Amino acid sequence: MSEPLLVADNVHRSYRMGHVDLRVLRGCHLRVEKGEFVAIMGKSGSGKSTLLHILGALDVPQEGQVFFEGQPVFAPPTQRRIRTGLTDVFSASERRRIGLRRRAFGFVFQFYHLLPELNVLENVLITRMVGASTWTWRRQRRRARQDAINILARLGLSDRLKHRPNELSGGERQRVAMARALVHHPQVLFADEPTGNLDAEAGTKLMELLSDLHREGQTIVMVTHDPSIARYADRILLLSDGRLAPAPALS
Amino acid sequence: MYKLFLTLRYLHKRRIAYFAIAAVMLCVAMVLIVLSVMGGWLEMVKRQARGLLGDIIVDNRAYAGFPLYQEFIDEISQWPEIVKATPVLYTYGLFHFRSTDQTGAVRVVGIRLQEVYEVNAFKSSLFYERHYPGTTTLAEQRQPVLGPDPDAEPLTLQDEQGHPVALLYRPKLPEPYQQALERFRQHHGGGNPASEEFERPLNELLAKAGLPPIPGWYEEADEPGLIGDPYPGLILGRDLVAKRHSDGRYERYYPKGEVVTLTLWATSARGQVDPIPIKRAFRYADDSRTGIYDIDSQHVYCDFELLQKLLQMDATQRVDENGNVIGVAPARCAQIQIRVAPGVDAKALTSRLRDKYLSYLDDPRFDLDLTDRRLISRIEALTWQESQAHIIAPVEKEKILVTILFGIISLVAVALILCILYMIVLQKTRDIGIIKAIGGSSGGVAGIFIIYGAAVGVTGAVLGTALGTLVVTYINEIQDFLVKLNPAWRVWDLSVYAFDRIPNEVNPVDALVVALCAVVAATAGSLAAAWRAGTMQPVEAIRYE
Repeated sequence: MSEPLLVADNVHRSYRMGHVDLRVLRGCHLRVEKGEFVAIMGKSGSGKSTLLHILGALDVPQEGQVFFEGQPVFAPPTQRRIRTGLTDVFSASERRRIGLRRRAFGFVFQFYHLLPELNVLENVLITRMVGASTWTWRRQRRRARQDAINILARLGLSDRLKHRPNELSGGERQRVAMARALVHHPQVLFADEPTGNLDAEAGTKLMELLSDLHREGQTIVMVTHDPSIARYADRILLLSDGRLAPAPALS
Repeated sequence: MYKLFLTLRYLHKRRIAYFAIAAVMLCVAMVLIVLSVMGGWLEMVKRQARGLLGDIIVDNRAYAGFPLYQEFIDEISQWPEIVKATPVLYTYGLFHFRSTDQTGAVRVVGIRLQEVYEVNAFKSSLFYERHYPGTTTLAEQRQPVLGPDPDAEPLTLQDEQGHPVALLYRPKLPEPYQQALERFRQHHGGGNPASEEFERPLNELLAKAGLPPIPGWYEEADEPGLIGDPYPGLILGRDLVAKRHSDGRYERYYPKGEVVTLTLWATSARGQVDPIPIKRAFRYADDSRTGIYDIDSQHVYCDFELLQKLLQMDATQRVDENGNVIGVAPARCAQIQIRVAPGVDAKALTSRLRDKYLSYLDDPRFDLDLTDRRLISRIEALTWQESQAHIIAPVEKEKILVTILFGIISLVAVALILCILYMIVLQKTRDIGIIKAIGGSSGGVAGIFIIYGAAVGVTGAVLGTALGTLVVTYINEIQDFLVKLNPAWRVWDLSVYAFDRIPNEVNPVDALVVALCAVVAATAGSLAAAWRAGTMQPVEAIRYE
């Protein structure tokens, strides 16, 4: 059996809400194989997005570890800082997480989160820009631009390159967000309720697009509360009481 | 790369940044204008102060003066560091113009005119010497009067319809004044460089006839010539003989050659003032405008040897109680002004000059009595900066004070940048989360806002420097325009300030320092915002509502 691409091992995360310590994740275990499409379902507030953010190195678990390609993503629990401070900029684990976000991970969010000052092409290119220094960007610029145009063409946005996000429909914005997440050819695409803000038709189109990508070998981890959307995945897991379990009814 | 890209986008798209840029621009322009005007004023004061004295003065701060000045001058004139040295006398007196009965207290300065020309910039302060080169003298002279040129045909003046209304005889001055004026006109193209004067009626007629003006004021007579008894020449401070209007032009009260009487009191070597006044008539030979009001309103200049004689400071026989001649009391002066060669460190030379003078106390060549020795022992040699510190220091202090005040006001711009950037960070919280989600580091995100602050600073500094330079360069034209709209808007009132024009030169070093300070301040103003953006957790930022 080959080594899994992404592993979550006994992940815990809680939030302090006033005097109450809200334990959202209570020991989550997950293995994602390369090329797999995993959907995580759960009720609103069950901790789906929190788990996705930890898997995608955007958040830090209080206990447990996430391994990507067999390597730990976070520092040992005793050395972790939950709130990121500027001192973390220089920590090895922070640098590793930044590196993963730049090269290996891509994110699609429910509310698109496009940068309003940039046009469609720039919103996609910014991912490549962040990963390049001023000097390397000079060499990469032309190729990065072509990659961005290609991915936008594939997502049917060739005629929208110079448009700003506020000039696009919800479905178009989400496709731009997907292009931004894919332009650097990530090993894992994390999608957080990608259809949550779209109408049914746009949602279906988007899921067909994700299915196509999966068929081409893209590893996808998606969270959703919608069973009809979860059906597109190879495997569906249910997050309940802070733990992950297979969703038998849907499987 | 993305930091610069996003910074430029935020600058371009976030209109609020324009307010920050405008604030920095106005502050930079404001400080630069203040610094340039005050700095220019200080430079003018320094230049004028230096021009009055030369590079070094030797002085004992006593009106009784000190002896052996000529021996000292003759000796130091051999030094390669010394270009020229000249003795000066100071005393107080009263002046009185017979024609108007104008009387006032003045400081009377005895100078050797030709030597002073070589030591300092006194010559350039003289009005008649400038327009009639070589004619100003402190020697005995009569009054030059203007008359019709007997060899020239009169000109016919016409009214606006071209009808002849009057005949104008070409005015002519007696020699050597006429020749000197011709030389001046040849050199200056026959225009009217004497624009610092109120035009006299004669000059207005000459202008109508297309003839060049006669600078200054001469009595008019039936024929050009020299009239009256000969008296020694006296140069008066401009503000004693003319009124300065708010536009800077002078209106003279007296024609050249007018008789003015000085009343003086002699001071003995022991510092005792002779109660019997000495009265002497002079002719108004020229007027001096140094640019320092205290001097131009209080100083008159006459011949050194004449004043020395009047004050009984020339060499006299020394007698004992029985009236027997026992020696010669040496002549005294009150000050020696020295010009040093270019590149010579005047400060370093002062101690050498003082030591030289003090060495006369032990010099067997000189027969000095106790009084002479006391006068010499008080001698000091000072650079022009040291001697004029009382004039320069207040202006310097004022410059520093005003610059600090405006610098403090400029902190408003820093606070504004801080507020604007902090606001932008709050507005951009979600964007910060996105940038971090796609791989932006904390340092990188903080860098966006630091570069943003610096970019606001650089843009504001460049625009502010340009605006400040433009305003300073055309500050006089701006004032002229404002005065045309409303005379009460004259900021640089020339009846108050000694200088004709508002200083209008920007010191490039000042401009650079102000611009750099603005960039540093703007960058500093962005630090709080950058800190907040940098320390923001990506998840927190993405979830921000």
